[in-house]
Amino acid sequence: MNLKKIKTIYLKEMKDTLRDRRTLISMLLIPILLFPLLIFGMTSLTLKMAQKTAERVSPVVFMGEGEAPNLFSMFKADTSFSIVQEKDYRLAIKDKRIMAAVEFSRDFEKRIRAGNSAQVKIYYDVAEIKSKMTSEKLGNILRVYQDSIVTERLKSHKVDRSLLQPVQIQKENLAPQEKMSGFFLSMFLPYLIMIMALTGAMYPAIDLTAGEKERGTMETLLVSPASRGEIATGKFLTVFTASLVTALVSTASMVITASTSISKFREIGEKVVFSINPISMLILFLLMLPYCCLASSVLLSLALYAKSYKEAQSYISPLLIVIILPAMASFLPGLELSVGIAFIPVINISLTLKQVLLGSYEWGYIGLIFLSTAVYAGFAVFVTRRLFEKEGVLFRT
Amino acid sequence: MIKTFNLTKLFQDRKRGKIRAVDDVNIECKPGEVFGLLGLNGAGKTTLMRLLSTVLMPTSGTAQVKGFDILTQSQEVKSSIGFLSSDTALYPRLTAGETVSYFGRLNGMEESAIDKRKEEIFKVFDMNWFKDQRVDKLSSGMKQKISLARTIIHNPEVLILDEPTLGLDVITSKNIIQFIRRSKEENKCILFSTHIMHEAEKLCDKIAIIHKGKVLTVGTLEELRAKTGLKDLDDVFVKFVKGENES
Repeated sequence: MNLKKIKTIYLKEMKDTLRDRRTLISMLLIPILLFPLLIFGMTSLTLKMAQKTAERVSPVVFMGEGEAPNLFSMFKADTSFSIVQEKDYRLAIKDKRIMAAVEFSRDFEKRIRAGNSAQVKIYYDVAEIKSKMTSEKLGNILRVYQDSIVTERLKSHKVDRSLLQPVQIQKENLAPQEKMSGFFLSMFLPYLIMIMALTGAMYPAIDLTAGEKERGTMETLLVSPASRGEIATGKFLTVFTASLVTALVSTASMVITASTSISKFREIGEKVVFSINPISMLILFLLMLPYCCLASSVLLSLALYAKSYKEAQSYISPLLIVIILPAMASFLPGLELSVGIAFIPVINISLTLKQVLLGSYEWGYIGLIFLSTAVYAGFAVFVTRRLFEKEGVLFRT
Repeated sequence: MIKTFNLTKLFQDRKRGKIRAVDDVNIECKPGEVFGLLGLNGAGKTTLMRLLSTVLMPTSGTAQVKGFDILTQSQEVKSSIGFLSSDTALYPRLTAGETVSYFGRLNGMEESAIDKRKEEIFKVFDMNWFKDQRVDKLSSGMKQKISLARTIIHNPEVLILDEPTLGLDVITSKNIIQFIRRSKEENKCILFSTHIMHEAEKLCDKIAIIHKGKVLTVGTLEELRAKTGLKDLDDVFVKFVKGENES
C-alpha cells in the first residue's frame, strides 16, 4: 500500500465531506447546538414552570367554612387560593373552573376544641396536574394546622413533643464533589457520545460508498491506479475522523454547557457542580478510538453493500437501534462491569465511561475493554477492506 | 498494446442463471489504431472494457495492456490506461481543477508535472474559464471536458473509451471525436465502443462486432464490407447479428 495515495484519497474525501452540508450539520452543528439547547431549554422551562406555579392562584370552593372559622382564615390568608362559590363543585372540578373543593364536617372546630377528631374532605382530580398540585397545597396547610393542634394538646397534657419522635434521623452525604458532579454526566455522556459518534459518521459513510455508486464516481476511482486497499483505507480514515470529531465536539459541548449552566441550576435550588478531570478525559478519548473505528467500519461495510443512498439508510437505521439499546447501559443502576461484560461491545464502553466519569478507574477493565474493542474494530476494518475487493459488492445490480 | 487471450467473464443472475457476458474474446489493438467495439446494449462491450481496466476479474483467459497482464499487474495496467465511460462520473463538490489534479496525484504525478500538464490540457479543451467552478454547477459539455482531462492527465498510451458520446449534444460529441483523432495522431492505442454506426465508420481503423459476449467478426471497414457484400455499416452489423441469432 502506498501511503502517499492513501493521503491523497483521505485529503480529497475530507475536502469533499466538509463541503457536504448534511455531514457538516451532523458532524459539527448538531453536537455543538444540541446540548446547549437541551440543557438551557430544559432549565429555562423548569424555571418558568416553577415561577408560574408560584404565581398561580387556584380557585377553590369551601363548604361548611362556618364550622371551622380559624382553619378557614388560614386558607383565606394564603394568596395562592381564591375562594369562589359554585353550586355543583363536582362539575366545576370536571370543567376545570375550580381546582379543588374543601368540605368541613359539622361542628369541626367544636369537636377539635373538645379534644376529639373531626373530618375535612378535599375533592380534586388526580388526572389534572393543576388540581393535584392544589390539593397538595391545601394538604400542607392542613398539616400545619394539625401540627399546631397536636402541640397544643401535648402541652395541655404536659408531654414533651420529642416523646413522639424517639428516633432522630440524620443523613450526611460523603460523596466527593467530583463524584457528585460526575453523576449527572456519567448517566448521559456515555450514551450520548456513543450515539453522536455513530450519527456523525453516518452521512460520510453513506456518501463515500453508496452515494458514490449512485453518482457513478466509484467506478472513476476504481479505474485509477489506487489499489482497493488504498481506496478502502482512505475512505475509512475519513469516516473515522468524522466519527471521532463528532464524539469529541459533543463531549466538549456537553461539558462546557453543563459547567456554564451551574448558575441556572442553583436558581432552581439544585446543588450541582460539573467537571471532568484530565485523566477521565484521556481515558474517554482512548476508549473512543477503537469504538469510532468499529462504528466507522460497520457503517462503511453496510453502506458499501447498498446500491443507493436510500438503500444504505434502510440498512443503517436498524443498526442505530442495535447501538442505542446497549449504549443505554449507563442508565441502568444495577449493571456493573464484569469480565463477561468487558467483551460485549458498546455495553462495555458505556459502563466503563460511566465508572470513569464517577472518578473510579479500574485499570484492568479499562485495558481489557480497550483491547477487546480494538480486536473487534480490527476485524471490522478487515471485513470492510475485503468488501472493497468484491466485485459482487462494488457492482451489485 | 491491448491483446486478449480467450478472455471470458461469467455472471450469475438469479433469474437468468449463468450469463456469458464476455465469451472467449481474442482481439488485438495496436498503437496509433482506433479499435471499435460495435454492439447492441448488453452485448458485453462495457464488461470487456471493465475487464481490460482490471475493475472486474475474468472468469478465464487473460489480457495484456502495454505488455502488463491484467491478472497479475493490475496497478501497472491502470497506470497505462485512460478509462472513460458514461459510468465514470465526476465528484460534484470538487472544482474542475481539483478533479483533474486529484487523478494526477492518484497516478503518482508530482505537483509541478500536474500543473504543467493541466495547463496544456485546459488550453486545448478551452477549460481555463471554468477551472475553479464546482462540477455540480457545470453543463454536461463542460463535465465531459473535465472527464476527458482526468482521463489523460497522466498522458496514458492506451485509451479505453466506453460510449464516450452517449447522451451528449452534437457539439460535445464532435469535440470527443476530435479528441480521439488527435490521440490517434499521438500514436495512442484507442479501444472505443459505440452503437452509433456512423461514429465507427468515421473513426475506426478496425471494427469488432460483439454480440451476446462473443466477437462475431473483426476487420477493417473494407474487410467487413467485403465479407458481407454490403456497403452500409448498419447493414453489415445487422447481417452479422441476425446471422448469429439464427444460428
